[in-house]
Amino acid sequence: MRTDSHSRRQFLQTAAFAGTASLVGSFPGISWSASDGTLTVRFDREMESLDPGYYVGGHPPNDVNWCVMPALVHYGYKDGQAIWVPSPFVESVELRDATNIDFTLKSGLMWSGGNGELTTEDVAYSYDRMKESEWKGDYVAYDHVEIKDKYSGTIVLNQAFSPFMTTTLASGTGIIVCKKAVEAAGGRYTVDIPATCGPYVMEHKQAQYVKLRPNPEWTGAKPAYDNIDCLFVTEDEAGALAFEAGELDCAKITSNSYARYQKELPPNAKLTVAGALQYMWMGMNIENPKLQDIKVRQAIQHAVDQASIIQGAYAGTAEPSFGVVCPGLVGRRLETSYSYDPAKAKAMLDEAGVSGLTLTLRTLNAQERVLAAQIIQANLAQIGVTVEIIPLDSGPFWEMGQESKGETWKDLELWIMRFGSGPDPYEPFQWFVRDQVGIWNWERWSSDEFEDLFKQLVSVSEVDERHKIAIRMQEIMEETGAYVWLTHEPEVFIHRADIATQFAPSGEMQLGYFKPV
Amino acid sequence: MNPSDIPAPAPDPVRTGAAERAYSVRREKLILFLRNPQGMLGLFLVIMFFASAIFAPVFATHDPLTMDIPNRLSGPTADHWAGTDQLGRDTYTRVLYGGRVALEVAAIGVSVSLVIGLVLGMVAGFGPTWLDNLLLLIFDAIRSFPTVILALAAVALLGPSLKLVLAIVIVTSIPSYARLARTSTLALKRTEFILAERSLGASTPRILARHIMPNVIGPLLILSAMDVPVVVTIEAGLSFLGLGVQPPTASWGTVLNEGYLIIRDTPWMVIAGGIPLVLTTLGFTFLGEALRDIFDPKLRKGR
Repeated sequence: MRTDSHSRRQFLQTAAFAGTASLVGSFPGISWSASDGTLTVRFDREMESLDPGYYVGGHPPNDVNWCVMPALVHYGYKDGQAIWVPSPFVESVELRDATNIDFTLKSGLMWSGGNGELTTEDVAYSYDRMKESEWKGDYVAYDHVEIKDKYSGTIVLNQAFSPFMTTTLASGTGIIVCKKAVEAAGGRYTVDIPATCGPYVMEHKQAQYVKLRPNPEWTGAKPAYDNIDCLFVTEDEAGALAFEAGELDCAKITSNSYARYQKELPPNAKLTVAGALQYMWMGMNIENPKLQDIKVRQAIQHAVDQASIIQGAYAGTAEPSFGVVCPGLVGRRLETSYSYDPAKAKAMLDEAGVSGLTLTLRTLNAQERVLAAQIIQANLAQIGVTVEIIPLDSGPFWEMGQESKGETWKDLELWIMRFGSGPDPYEPFQWFVRDQVGIWNWERWSSDEFEDLFKQLVSVSEVDERHKIAIRMQEIMEETGAYVWLTHEPEVFIHRADIATQFAPSGEMQLGYFKPV
Repeated sequence: MNPSDIPAPAPDPVRTGAAERAYSVRREKLILFLRNPQGMLGLFLVIMFFASAIFAPVFATHDPLTMDIPNRLSGPTADHWAGTDQLGRDTYTRVLYGGRVALEVAAIGVSVSLVIGLVLGMVAGFGPTWLDNLLLLIFDAIRSFPTVILALAAVALLGPSLKLVLAIVIVTSIPSYARLARTSTLALKRTEFILAERSLGASTPRILARHIMPNVIGPLLILSAMDVPVVVTIEAGLSFLGLGVQPPTASWGTVLNEGYLIIRDTPWMVIAGGIPLVLTTLGFTFLGEALRDIFDPKLRKGR
C-alpha cells in the first residue's frame, strides 16, 4: 500500500475520477455496507490529543477521528495507489482549477450535544484555525474558504499546491470541527471532543479502550461494523498474542513479529503492509555544549552502523533511510554523504580534540528502539564515546524537545526519533523549518537556503524539479551533522483474513471502511 | 607480698559450665543443620549464587556486551551454551553477569536495611512512648505502599536506575526489620538484667549495643536470609518492567523481559533468565527456613 507522489496531471486525473465517482455514488471505498457484529482492534498507545491541530502521531488519533468527525475527503485506493475520495459527509468535491476546490456538504448531518448542523462555517473555521496550529505546515498553501451558502463553499489556495488534497485534506489535519462547540471550549481541546458528527459516537476510558458505537443521529450510509472496540495494548508481543488468541481482529505488529509471521501465518490471518511512510533518525542537539562542534557530530554520523540496526533491531524488515523522504516518494535519496567508518569517526573526534565524551541517548521505551539504542551505544563506544541510554514512556518522550513543555530540551543530546509522513515529499520537511525550532525541530538548526527551498517545494509542481529540491533539502539537513538516518519502518498489521481492511498511506486504520469479506 | 604469690583465681565453676553448655548447644545446632538436607541444599545453592556472581568473569565464555548480530536468536550451541539474544550477545554470560546485579542489590539492600531497621527498631522499643508511636506510624505508612507502585511513582519522578532500585528496596525493607527489632526490644526492656544494667548506671547506647542487640539480632539475620530472594525478585521485577538497571547492563529481569518479547522465536532466554531466579529463591528460602527451625524454634511453632 505504498504510494507515489502525484504530478499535477495525475492529480487532476484523479480528482476528475473521484469527483465523477462521487456523483454516481458507486466508488467502492465509500459504499459502507450493512452492519455486522463487533470489530476489535489494537491501539498501541494512548492518545494525547484528538484535536486535528495538536495531535501527536497519526495512529491512533486519526483512526478515531475519521470515525467520529467529518472531513471533506478520505483516502481511497486505485490500482494500489493512494488517492483522495469524497467522504460520506459531502455531496461533491471538485477541483475547479489549481487553486479553487468547490465542495458541497450533505445536509442534515448533526453535531452532538445540540450543536446544530454541519455547515460551511464549520469548514472555514476548522481550516482557518489550522493556520495557527502545530500542524500549520500542512496549511501553507491554504488561504481561506469562500462561503457560498450553508452547505457549499470553495477552498481557495494562495498558490497551486498539487498534494493539498492528499497530504492535507485527506489526512488527519483535514478533520472538520464544530465551530460553536470548539469556541465554547476555548478554541482547543485534547481527548474530550466538544462535539462529534459521524457514523459513530465514542466512549473513551483512559488507557483501556475507545468504544465506537452507532451514532443514532447519523443519517449517512452505515459502516459495515456497528460496534468497534479499540483496546489499548501497548505491549507489542501482547498485541500479537491477543490476535492469535482471537481477542483482536486486527493488530499492528512489530518487525520481529512481522519476520516471524512471514515464515508462518496463524490460520485465517493475513498480513497487510500499510506502507513505509515512517522515517527514523538519531537526532543531535546542535546547541548542546557537547555537540556544538560540527566535527563531533560528523564523527558520530560516521560511527553508527545502520546495517546492524536494521538486522539487529528490525530483523531485516525495515528499509535503510537516507533522509526524511520515504520510499516510493519523489525526492527519496539513495545514499548519504557519510558512511559507517569507525576509524574515520575516531580520527574526526581526535581532530576535534574531544576525548572521554559522555552523551545521553533518549528513546521511546519500545523494543526495537531500545535495541537500536544499544547498537548505537556499542558503535559509539568503539570511538570512545560513552552513551547512557534513557528509555522514556511516550508522554515525557514526545514533550522532551518542546520548549513549551518544560526545560528538558536544554539537556537533550542524542535521541532516536521516528515521524510519520504523508504521501508527498513536502510533508516531512515542514517539521524542520525555522519556525519549528523548539517545537518539533529539536536539533535546533535553521538555514536560509532550506527556508527558500521549502517555499519552492510548495509552489513547484514539476516532478523532476521537486525531486531535486527535496534531495537538496535533505543534503542541507545532513550537512548540519545533526542527523544519522536510520530506517523506514513498515507499518504492518495482522488481521483476520475474512476482513477487508483499509489503511491510510501513513499507516492509520480507516476503521469505517473495514468490512467482512 | 610478691604479686606472683597471689593465688590465681580459681575458675568460676558457674561461668565455665555456661560456656561449655553454650559450646555444646552450638555444636548440637551445627550438627542439626548439617543433618538437614533442605538446609544443606539451600546452603549449596546460596554458595553457587555467590560464586557465580563473584567469579562471573572466570566462568563467562564471552563478553556480556559484545554483539554478534549475524548469530542473533540462536539456540544453545557449543559456543553459546544458552543461545544468544536479539543482538547476538551470549545469554549464558549475560545471566552470569546478571547475578552480579542481583548480588549487589541483595547484599547492599538487605544489609543497609537490616542495620537501619535494627537501630530504629531498638530505639522505638527502648525509647519514650511518643517516639515509639511516631516511628511506628512511619513504619506502617511505608509498609502500606505496594512496593511496585512506589517504584513506579519514584521512577516516573526520578528516572530509572539501579541506585533507585536499591533505595526502594532499602526503604521498603526497613519497616519489617524495625518492627521485629522493636518487638524483641520491648520484650527485653523489662527483664531483670536490663534493669540491673540501668541501676548500675549504664547509658542507653551501651545497653542497646551491648545487651539488647545481641539478643535481638539472631531472628533478624534469619529474616534477612529469607528476604534476599524477595529483594532479588524485586530487582528482577523492576528491571523486567524497564524500571531497574538500564541497557546494556544485564540483569535477570532484563534477560527475562527480552526473552519474553521473543519467546515465540526462541524460549531459551526465558529459561536461562528464569532458572537462576528460581534457584536463588529456593536456596535462600531453604537456608533461611533451616536456620530458623534450628536457631529460633519458637518461630517454627508459630507456623
